[in-house]
Amino acid sequence: MADQRRRAAPSRRLHPHGGQRSGEAASVGGSDFARAQRTRRRANFALFLGPALVLLACFFVAPVIVDLVLAFTDMDRTLAVTTLTLENFERMFTRDTRLLASLGITAIFVLATLGIFNVTFALLLALTTTAVPRALGAFFRAVWLLPRMSPSVVYALLWLWVVDPNERGLLNQILVHVLGAAPLDLRNNHPLLVIILANGFIGASLGMIIFTSAIRSIPEHLFHAARADGAGSLAIVRHIVFPALRWPISYMTIHQTLSLLVSFEYILLITGGGPFYDTTVFSLYAYRRAFENGQYAYGAALSLILIVIGVIAALGLWRLMDMRRLLQAPRIEVH
Amino acid sequence: MRVGSLAVAVPQARGADWAALARRAHWRRAAEQSALLAFLLAVAVPILLPYFWMVVISFTARSGGVSTSVLWTSCAVIVPAVIVYCVVHLASASARVRLAVAAALVVGAGALLAALVGHDLHLANYRFLWRANIIEEIRSKATAGGQFPSVWIAFRNSLVLALAQTVIILVVASLAGYYVSRFAFRGREAFLQALLVLHAFPAMTLIIPIFLILHWVGLLDTITGVMLVLATIELPFYVFVLKGFFDAVPWDIEMSAMTDGASRRQAFRFVVLPQVRVGLIAVAVFAFIRAWEEYIFVRTMLIENKNWVMSLYLFWVSDDIMGVDYGIVAAVSVFYVLPSLLLYVFCQRYLTQMTIGGIRG
Repeated sequence: MADQRRRAAPSRRLHPHGGQRSGEAASVGGSDFARAQRTRRRANFALFLGPALVLLACFFVAPVIVDLVLAFTDMDRTLAVTTLTLENFERMFTRDTRLLASLGITAIFVLATLGIFNVTFALLLALTTTAVPRALGAFFRAVWLLPRMSPSVVYALLWLWVVDPNERGLLNQILVHVLGAAPLDLRNNHPLLVIILANGFIGASLGMIIFTSAIRSIPEHLFHAARADGAGSLAIVRHIVFPALRWPISYMTIHQTLSLLVSFEYILLITGGGPFYDTTVFSLYAYRRAFENGQYAYGAALSLILIVIGVIAALGLWRLMDMRRLLQAPRIEVH
Repeated sequence: MRVGSLAVAVPQARGADWAALARRAHWRRAAEQSALLAFLLAVAVPILLPYFWMVVISFTARSGGVSTSVLWTSCAVIVPAVIVYCVVHLASASARVRLAVAAALVVGAGALLAALVGHDLHLANYRFLWRANIIEEIRSKATAGGQFPSVWIAFRNSLVLALAQTVIILVVASLAGYYVSRFAFRGREAFLQALLVLHAFPAMTLIIPIFLILHWVGLLDTITGVMLVLATIELPFYVFVLKGFFDAVPWDIEMSAMTDGASRRQAFRFVVLPQVRVGLIAVAVFAFIRAWEEYIFVRTMLIENKNWVMSLYLFWVSDDIMGVDYGIVAAVSVFYVLPSLLLYVFCQRYLTQMTIGGIRG
């Protein structure tokens, strides 16, 4: 109520020269005005930014701190903390052989998915969908966005139906009836391949969108000029499109490495990390330790490594964004 | 036009066969386009086929068995139709011809499908919509008593979760986005940079501490808790998206509103917000779809079956009766996927307008 009344005070004027300066100017005139100005600035800060700050503090910053503390405790299934200890890290670095295996799986998973789908295939899709007529290109991009837009449980179910080991599986129907080959059981015999494909089909779409908009932002006359000079399609891709894609490609590479490193949703749904631990990537390993085995402290210690990697990669991504435009100073400073 | 007259004028001078060259270039271009389209069609098949398979199962499976003949029969009708349309689209530039051909193909393929597979279609798999205990009926009754809630409870929970989360995001992100776009305050740059780090930072790594925090404050296993968490972890992204939209609004209209006596808050509410309507719709649609499809966080933080959302319902249905009855699982999937797909299809033009830091997301 007090804020309301102050806001309605007669000092409702325009000061387009910057808040600080107008505040100083006002303080010469009268300290009442300056105080009202200051109060209103605080009220606006609380009103506009307050909710966001509270939410981010509770569910984004606090969890990081909790995780940091938790990693040095012995919390287990009972959710009780009895001592502070370094045991989690000792176990991680010296005793946990399964962790080593999961790091290897993570490396294969991330590199293969990223290299084949999230960058290379995304690039291929962006190049081809921008080369065909607009409406058809948009249609095919929409097709590739379909997996990203459909719920993860449904998407995982589709994969289960595709790789179903019996004769009803979609893949086996094609193999047996069209190619005359023997039926395959991909989920049990090549689980890593399945999760790479499943993640790749989703991962390709984000790169596709970003590369497409980068290609679209190349001035049209460059293409015409190249054509007039007798350049073929491949020469145009090589000399005009690729140079324009350098920044988006580096951005996508870091962004997708990070997101593949931490995401385990589809793996959990399709293979459950199995058979045994064969597809348990690092992030899923932390999740399983915490929520399957009840070793919350150990899971938190494992997550801590991912958090550190995440912060480093996030800082790296900064450099690739258009910081100048993002941080551009506001032009009106009236409160 | 000038190019054309040039092409006519030059052959007389040089004696080269320009018409033949033009024809060859035309054919080469047509071949290139067809090759590209063939590639795109070929790679689209592995994506579309499973979705189609799901729909086919849901309408044709009878208890215990899935007939694959319907799938391949309808593919044999639909694939040629699509190829014909692509060829027509390439060959003809007239929108009316394209539309006419598309309509004719849809009607023709539809009639053919109805004749060939029409008698195999039925709605029995969708009976979970009106019979609450269907899952227990399918499994032996002794093993489960009231384990599965009615699908409508899960549907309502999903709707509440997604809508409430969307409202929170809209309110909080538009306030914050407007503030960082228009106001100068101490630490503005630091705040924006921190927000940028949070945006790139993968929230999935925080799932264990978030679980514990919710447990400590008593919000574990409540829709409210999950709603707040989901809204927060996506918040930095939406703040940046909306900041972009606010940045694009010319500040003169705000100025003139305030010259006319509006306060800053009134200017925001009545003058600026209507200007960013497209941005608000885009954020709302995107946030709704994200919450609708969420699985990991709800899986970890919602336990009791009265709190299940659609993703959990589908997961447990598939977990329980996948080997027994494909049809129900497929029907639940179709029912679950439909709202987000419809939203996506109808609001696509809004979604493509979101950019962040010069990068479209």
